Amino acid sequence: MIKTILLTIVFLKTSLQRMQSRYYENIKKNKKIKRILFFIVFAVLAGVIAFFSSNIINILQQAHQETTFVGVILFLVLMLTIIQAVFSSVNMLYFTKDTEYILPLPLKPYQIIVARTNVIIIVQYIIEIFVGLIPLIVYGFKMNCNSMFYLPVLISLILLPILPTVLISFVVVILMSFSKITKNKNKFQLFATFIVFALTIAFSIFMVKIDEQSISDEQIAQLMTKANGMVEVIKGYFPTLKYCTNAVLSNNILTMMVEFAKAIGITLIAYIAYALLSQKLYFKGLVGSLFSGENKNKKRKNKIKVEIKRKSIGKRYIEKEFKTLLRNPVYLIQCILPAVLFPILCIVLILISFDEIAVNEIMQALSGLNANGLILLTVIGITQFFSMIVYVSITAISRDGKNAVFMKYIPVSLYKQYIYKTIPNIIMNLFTIIIVLAVSEYILKISILDLIIVFIISMLMNIAQSFIMILVDLKRPKLQWNSEYAVVKQNLNLIFPAIFSLLSIGLLILYSKTTQIISVYIVLAMIAVIYLLITIFVNIYLYKRQNELAGKIE
Amino acid sequence: MIEIKNVSKSYVKGVKSVDSLNLEIKDGEIFGFLGPNGAGKTTTIRMITGILEPDGGDILVDGYSIRSNPIEAKKRFGFVPDSPDIFLKLKGIEYLNFLAEIYDIPIDVTQERIEKLTKKFEIYDNLNSTIESYSHGMRQKIIICGALISNPKNWILDEPMTGLDPKSSFDLKEMMREHTKNGNSVFFSTHILDVAERLCDRVGIINKGKLVFVGTFEEMKTKFKEETSLEELFLEITEND
Repeated sequence: MIKTILLTIVFLKTSLQRMQSRYYENIKKNKKIKRILFFIVFAVLAGVIAFFSSNIINILQQAHQETTFVGVILFLVLMLTIIQAVFSSVNMLYFTKDTEYILPLPLKPYQIIVARTNVIIIVQYIIEIFVGLIPLIVYGFKMNCNSMFYLPVLISLILLPILPTVLISFVVVILMSFSKITKNKNKFQLFATFIVFALTIAFSIFMVKIDEQSISDEQIAQLMTKANGMVEVIKGYFPTLKYCTNAVLSNNILTMMVEFAKAIGITLIAYIAYALLSQKLYFKGLVGSLFSGENKNKKRKNKIKVEIKRKSIGKRYIEKEFKTLLRNPVYLIQCILPAVLFPILCIVLILISFDEIAVNEIMQALSGLNANGLILLTVIGITQFFSMIVYVSITAISRDGKNAVFMKYIPVSLYKQYIYKTIPNIIMNLFTIIIVLAVSEYILKISILDLIIVFIISMLMNIAQSFIMILVDLKRPKLQWNSEYAVVKQNLNLIFPAIFSLLSIGLLILYSKTTQIISVYIVLAMIAVIYLLITIFVNIYLYKRQNELAGKIE
Repeated sequence: MIEIKNVSKSYVKGVKSVDSLNLEIKDGEIFGFLGPNGAGKTTTIRMITGILEPDGGDILVDGYSIRSNPIEAKKRFGFVPDSPDIFLKLKGIEYLNFLAEIYDIPIDVTQERIEKLTKKFEIYDNLNSTIESYSHGMRQKIIICGALISNPKNWILDEPMTGLDPKSSFDLKEMMREHTKNGNSVFFSTHILDVAERLCDRVGIINKGKLVFVGTFEEMKTKFKEETSLEELFLEITEND
């Protein structure tokens, strides 16, 4: 037990390691300033989330559905936990660089796997602070709740991520135990992630079907119209979600304790079963994952392909960036796939979790917004929401690690290289925008002209975001890492795309209030000008300070 | 030719990692840069290549300042860093093609140089594999091929022999000699004193950021004790400083 806890601490410390640099001495001196800056960033993000939460609670209160907020937040926490576990468990359990140092140690397989799984769960708790804790504190404050509300909230947030993470990790352990039989481990890693992704969707559909059998369409329709009845529809999606939601919303201590007992019981049984069953399979997959990629010294006597056509340096550079992203399973799973799969997964999960009646209700509510063109702002907001998990630009410099110095000794201007490194982010965001617009068009039947306008505005926001994020990465690069996973997941810089997206969504909400006075197209034109100016300003800054900005790359 | 003019660099206030360094690597010479760990060798190389900005002074590569005209200066040298773990997900051939593009090398010349260099280092047959599948020595070789693909006038190599097998090490030394015979320069850092002794036209010894000796091996012997090895001389110079 002590060994497992110690191992968890070691894994956590190495994965959340501070940026180490030659300027470590100076960093020590500036520790206070850095803490203050971090606090400001945290406060801004918390403030934006609190603002959104307050607005949503007000709207729900008018429809007497305020408790739905608690259900939705816990549902959201669960959904993000599932997505996070899908995209990180393969990397975290099998593809960290410390594996070859850990394997020779006299540790039992369950100690390693439990410690690694604990790290996945603890990282999820950090995300929960923003997605779960802050909104629920705002709810408690607005509803004048007492400690009978806050304590169950805390217990629920601790419990919720465990069961889905354990289930997903177990599927990963089973899949990876076959990794020894495959020739290309990198491709197998990718394949395993896809399988986990598909199984998660299949499991979600299965759970919803079970839930549907216990509650009829008529009952759903009744619940939707009943005060605070919507929460009943949402909570049935996952066992622990149901028990936790019941416990949080219960006014009776005994009911609360019974519901928590059920949730804790299921979680505990699943966790112990996972540790015991994984014990036999884990080392198989772990040893298999060590010998990844192509065989060493393997000679391929096919014809050597020296490029016949000359491409521009820009094209070649962007091609190199994409090759690095696509061929590295960690980068592919964390940077490229979420841009495409996250919107799809969210849409599928929402569509299957909310019954047809609930979807129609939402659609009707949304179509009511169309009168003032608010629907256009909503769609733009959704594209912004999804862009917060596109991590290509925010890790563009850090991904290169120690090799980032290459940028500085080749005869290509640093400014040009910054642009080349930003373009893959713009392209990945473009994919997200296209998916969101396609689904919006299908469901909401937006006119082609409006679709084009929404596309242009979303792209302007995308370009501005991509440039700002590379600027952030240049200012705070994380170049000393021992696992690619640490760069794309356990990196505090990843908070910045979220801040940008949430600020943009906040701006859209503020602008939505003006659409009753002025045309939505004028509002959209104003938004376009703002983001165009941001892009121009950031580009001028990148150009003028190109050498200075590369100061931390050494 | 590389001219280092009164260059200084500090990481921590008050402690100079490189202190008022003046050095000239002439055309046609192999210059070995020696010094104990933490003496300032890598910092100096990083300043020459533009990775680090000096606090003061300037560095000229064939007359072009790395500070005021970095692109022109960078076109005039090929650099081999101390770590060969670079662009591991690219295939060897992709890495070389990428560099050929960056240095504007014509296609026919690229083809010829890639063949010549990679066959010399015996990695031609591995060019279609990703660099991550290479051994340490093979990675070192592909990096050297990349640095030499533009046929730069000046070679700057940070610990280039590390990880090379005896044959490749021999070939690289031969290539250095051939390169300088044609009026070009080679600047390299090394810990292997025997290599420096046999290969270099001149050596520079840096200790605690200061250049404590520069000259030929013979001059070093004359200045210090005549009948001692380079190893003993090196220890004496760096310990007495």
